[in-house]
Amino acid sequence: MPEPIIKLEDVWKTYLLGKVELHALKGINLDINPGSFVTIMGPSGSGKSTLLNIVGVLDSPTKGRILLEGIDIATLSEDDLSQLRGKTIGFIFQEFNLLPNLSALENVMLPMVFQETPLEKRIARAKEILTAVDLGNRIYHQPTELSGGERQRVAIARAFANDPKVVIADEPTGNLDSSTGKKIMEILTEFHRRKGKTIIVVTHDPNIASYSQELVYIKDGQIVSNHKQAEKVLWQR
Amino acid sequence: MGSNFMDNLKEYFHIAWRNLKTRSLRSWLTIFGIVIGVFLIISLLSLSEGIKATITKQLRALGGEMVFVMPGDISNPIAMFMSGAKLEREDIDAIKNTKGVETVLTMSYQAAVVRYGDEGKAVFLQAMSWKESIEILENFQGWSLKEGRWPVSGKREIIIGKQIENDLFDKPVRVNSEVTIKGRKLTVVGILNSLGSKQDDTAIYLDLSIYQDITGEKKGTAQMVMVKIKEGGDVNGVAEDIKENLQKTRKRRSGTDAEDFSVITSEKMGDIAGSILAVIQLAIFAFASIAIIVGGIGITNTMFTSVRERTKEIGIMKAIGAKNSAVLMIFLFEAGIIGLAGGIGGTVLGTFLAKAIELYGQVHPLFYFSASVTPNLIIFGLVFSFLVGCLSGLLPARRASRLKPVEALRRYE
Repeated sequence: MPEPIIKLEDVWKTYLLGKVELHALKGINLDINPGSFVTIMGPSGSGKSTLLNIVGVLDSPTKGRILLEGIDIATLSEDDLSQLRGKTIGFIFQEFNLLPNLSALENVMLPMVFQETPLEKRIARAKEILTAVDLGNRIYHQPTELSGGERQRVAIARAFANDPKVVIADEPTGNLDSSTGKKIMEILTEFHRRKGKTIIVVTHDPNIASYSQELVYIKDGQIVSNHKQAEKVLWQR
Repeated sequence: MGSNFMDNLKEYFHIAWRNLKTRSLRSWLTIFGIVIGVFLIISLLSLSEGIKATITKQLRALGGEMVFVMPGDISNPIAMFMSGAKLEREDIDAIKNTKGVETVLTMSYQAAVVRYGDEGKAVFLQAMSWKESIEILENFQGWSLKEGRWPVSGKREIIIGKQIENDLFDKPVRVNSEVTIKGRKLTVVGILNSLGSKQDDTAIYLDLSIYQDITGEKKGTAQMVMVKIKEGGDVNGVAEDIKENLQKTRKRRSGTDAEDFSVITSEKMGDIAGSILAVIQLAIFAFASIAIIVGGIGITNTMFTSVRERTKEIGIMKAIGAKNSAVLMIFLFEAGIIGLAGGIGGTVLGTFLAKAIELYGQVHPLFYFSASVTPNLIIFGLVFSFLVGCLSGLLPARRASRLKPVEALRRYE
């Protein structure tokens, strides 16, 4: 077995709502292996967003350990963690989350700016990847001048800009119509298959889940099932 | 690392610039405080610098080491000039008899209406003991005649400043023209070359005894005395001696030892002018600082609003790998650019006002100003306003940089 890219060991996340303790995650153990395509599913309030934030090292657990490429993130400074996250993990959000004042090209270049990639390399790479998502002719457009599907493709290009090992997508098709959503999922699958990227998708849409190989089902802050063959599971339901 | 670091700063500046371009009018209004502050600094400092330069130039033109004696107390200049006090004949003799004194020039001055043809204009009359003065004026102060000759002592003759020739009256004043002052006819015998300042070029110069004839001022007195000391003498020592002699004379005459006269050297005169201007400049700076502080608080305020509005953007940037310092720099640049914009506006307006006043001084006699808008002053204004902007943006930018990515992303969800 290869070493997992992201490893969660007995992760708890507790929020304090006034004086009431709310356990969003209760002892999660999860290995994300290189090259896998994992879907995290669960009803709203199940803790899947919290889990996603923890897996994407955007948030730190109340208890437990998170290993990113074998490094315990608790030992890293805020800045080092940002650097490591920017290099290793790409994010795709439901609302696209492009920076509104920057062009498509500049949005895709931004993660590389934070990694201090030289300018010429940044431009070349951003153009290459925008072309790969079929936006080669719209690189100077502002996000407001692009359709929802185009914006999400810019976001995908941005997520893959630093050539990360893992891309985390939070309801990537949630704001798109079904045919556009399908196209987005095909692009993601393409990156997974051709480049061997690890993809983690959070969704409540079984159709999306059907693209993946692994299905993690979470309920009340606990993983209730972890199947290596998602399609089979979905079929059985 | 080094070149990449600079490259990154450039990139952050670029992002900050893009953010600003799409900002609302509200944000741009906040630059106004900075505009006003920098405007005050640039216009007033350039004018006071200009005045300082003019005074220094005139003092230097006096050449050599001179001692000035004036009635009244120099530490209270307004009272001194308003009092109309005079130096009496005994005072002047006391000065003349002081050891080390070579020449004593007595002078008086006042504004009077000068009639020429059908016109009457107020002109500054400056009277000097002509016999003693002429050599010093020519050799040490660079006076020269454009045409005509110097007046002869005791005759009703005057010379005129260069600008009186053509500018003051509708009809040009020429050598041998006759003007009337207080009912007495005087002949113009010479026209001076420019003396370098408006005030000097619009005055009329005449012998002190003739001046006292027509104005009724007591013969042998003077409003001011200029003393040229003997070659190689100690200016300060002679000044002290003059002071002592004057004190003795006054005591003998009026029985008091109140020191109602001032003896100062040309060097000290420069110091006094310099220190008065320094106080004025300090006051200007204090007022302008208040305007800039208010402007800075405005920037802080708008930046806090901006951080709040763009919390999610900050979260996104952090999620895709922005270090705290990157977010800090972007917001600092935004605040700095706002400050700089205010600085540019203030500098342009300030330069404009200073130059306008200078221009007004050139067409209006008795109102001489030069504005000294130096590149240094402009660079200072711009750098200063950029730094004020950055400083004002420091707290909001720090708040932005310390936001936790997950909290920033969750906001507005």
